[in-house]
Amino acid sequence: MTQLDVFQTVKRVTLEVLPFLPPEEVSIEKSLKDLGANSIDRMEVVTRSMESLGIKVPLVEFGKVKNLEGLVDVLQRFAN
Amino acid sequence: MSQQDRPINRRSTAPIAVTGIGITSSIGMNTGEFSNSLRAGKSGIARWALPAGPLVPVGVGARLPDFSLVTALQQVEGVPEPLRRKIGLCAGRSPLGVQAAVLAALEAWIMSGLDRASLDPQRLGIIVAGSNLNPRYSYGLHEKFQQDPEYLTPRYPLHYMDTDYVGTLSEIFQAQGEGFTVGGASASGNVAIIKACQAIGSDVIDACLVIGALADLSPMELQGFYNIGALGGRNFHDQPDKACRPFDLHHEGFIYGQAGACMLLESTDSAQQRGVPELARVTGGALVLDGNRLSDPNAEGEARAMTQALVRSGLNPSDIDYLNAHGTASPLGDETEIKAVKGVFKEHVPRLWINSTKGLTGHCLTAAGVVEAIAVVIQLQQGFLHPNKNLENPIDSECRFCPPESTLVSIRRAMSNSFGFGGIDTSIILERGGL
Repeated sequence: MTQLDVFQTVKRVTLEVLPFLPPEEVSIEKSLKDLGANSIDRMEVVTRSMESLGIKVPLVEFGKVKNLEGLVDVLQRFAN
Repeated sequence: MSQQDRPINRRSTAPIAVTGIGITSSIGMNTGEFSNSLRAGKSGIARWALPAGPLVPVGVGARLPDFSLVTALQQVEGVPEPLRRKIGLCAGRSPLGVQAAVLAALEAWIMSGLDRASLDPQRLGIIVAGSNLNPRYSYGLHEKFQQDPEYLTPRYPLHYMDTDYVGTLSEIFQAQGEGFTVGGASASGNVAIIKACQAIGSDVIDACLVIGALADLSPMELQGFYNIGALGGRNFHDQPDKACRPFDLHHEGFIYGQAGACMLLESTDSAQQRGVPELARVTGGALVLDGNRLSDPNAEGEARAMTQALVRSGLNPSDIDYLNAHGTASPLGDETEIKAVKGVFKEHVPRLWINSTKGLTGHCLTAAGVVEAIAVVIQLQQGFLHPNKNLENPIDSECRFCPPESTLVSIRRAMSNSFGFGGIDTSIILERGGL
């Protein structure tokens, strides 16, 4: 699974969780916080992305994630 | 001196104004539609394959129509765009009951002019009627949870708790005074109204959004109500609109109904200062216990609630023109209520109009008290009484039950009863605005 595949999943889930967000604003260098996600929205993006990708990642793995790229990288590591 | 001997002519509580009402129900998604249905005697009870899961023996109920909050919001006039967006953000993915409450509260909010003539947020409270409101939500997640607990939504702790209503509504409507939920089983709606009147009367808040929360039952609760013998709909399965028969010889138990309702209660001073009309007034109410953990009703306790509501309102039985009965269509419940009503109203009984809104809406359980208080306000305002549905052979010949067609009659004061499992008896009294 490529980085782009995982990013597209994360982007789709992010737009489900933040329905008022214009899709073009979701770019890989931004953080969920930048996009207006509160702490529960951020957790929901994580659990929904894992579910979509059919993987289970221990939550500690996300501790150092700073932006969508970091999130995508962690997910991609477990998806492959 | 016993309660019955006390002189019943001294008002002990200040009347509280009703300045807004709102509803989502099986017979109307706003108060206009709901009024029309009451007037037409239209029942919301229909065949209903109740929530997914094992097949519950009773397939009849008064279901809230499917709706999307976003679409429903577009149909409400006068909602400022920032508020519309905020509601979408705060409640767009909330469970059904919260969304129904938000729509009802929005209608009451606009009706009471709070979008224009606002209140100090710290003087606005929220009381949500009912407990264990969301069992269908938890039930629906259970299977997935068994398989993959990691995928449980992190919103679960927010949504499974009844306080989700308090938090969501307070964020949307900027209420920063007292806020909590009250549990009184099927009497919860009246309990919330009584507690709101007390909070306003004791100057803790100026106004309160009282929410009759939709009881979103799962198949397990419905089977439970069936097994305890409380659910009707067995003999009229093929004629669902005949299934709910309050005070009729062939009544056989309650029919489940869904509704979310909101009543904005406010001190008469605050309503006056804001220059908004009083739709009605709550003159008093009472909440008493039977001292009974079971589901059976008790005429002495019910009579005590009605008498205390009269005492606190400074009224005599003959001052009441109309009783909106608890009337669930449960055989023992109906008979017990009639016995209690006769004990309280005595020689006034033949002149006291009686109907039960549950014949049209089903039994909305936690929301019932607020739904029925709204039905009372509408009937007081518009000068009619809705039919007591399906009353073909009344269980009592002395009582003045409302006939099959609406009655045009000017009503000044009404009593509304709600009784709950666990011996919780409540009665409130409303009077027409401008009396």
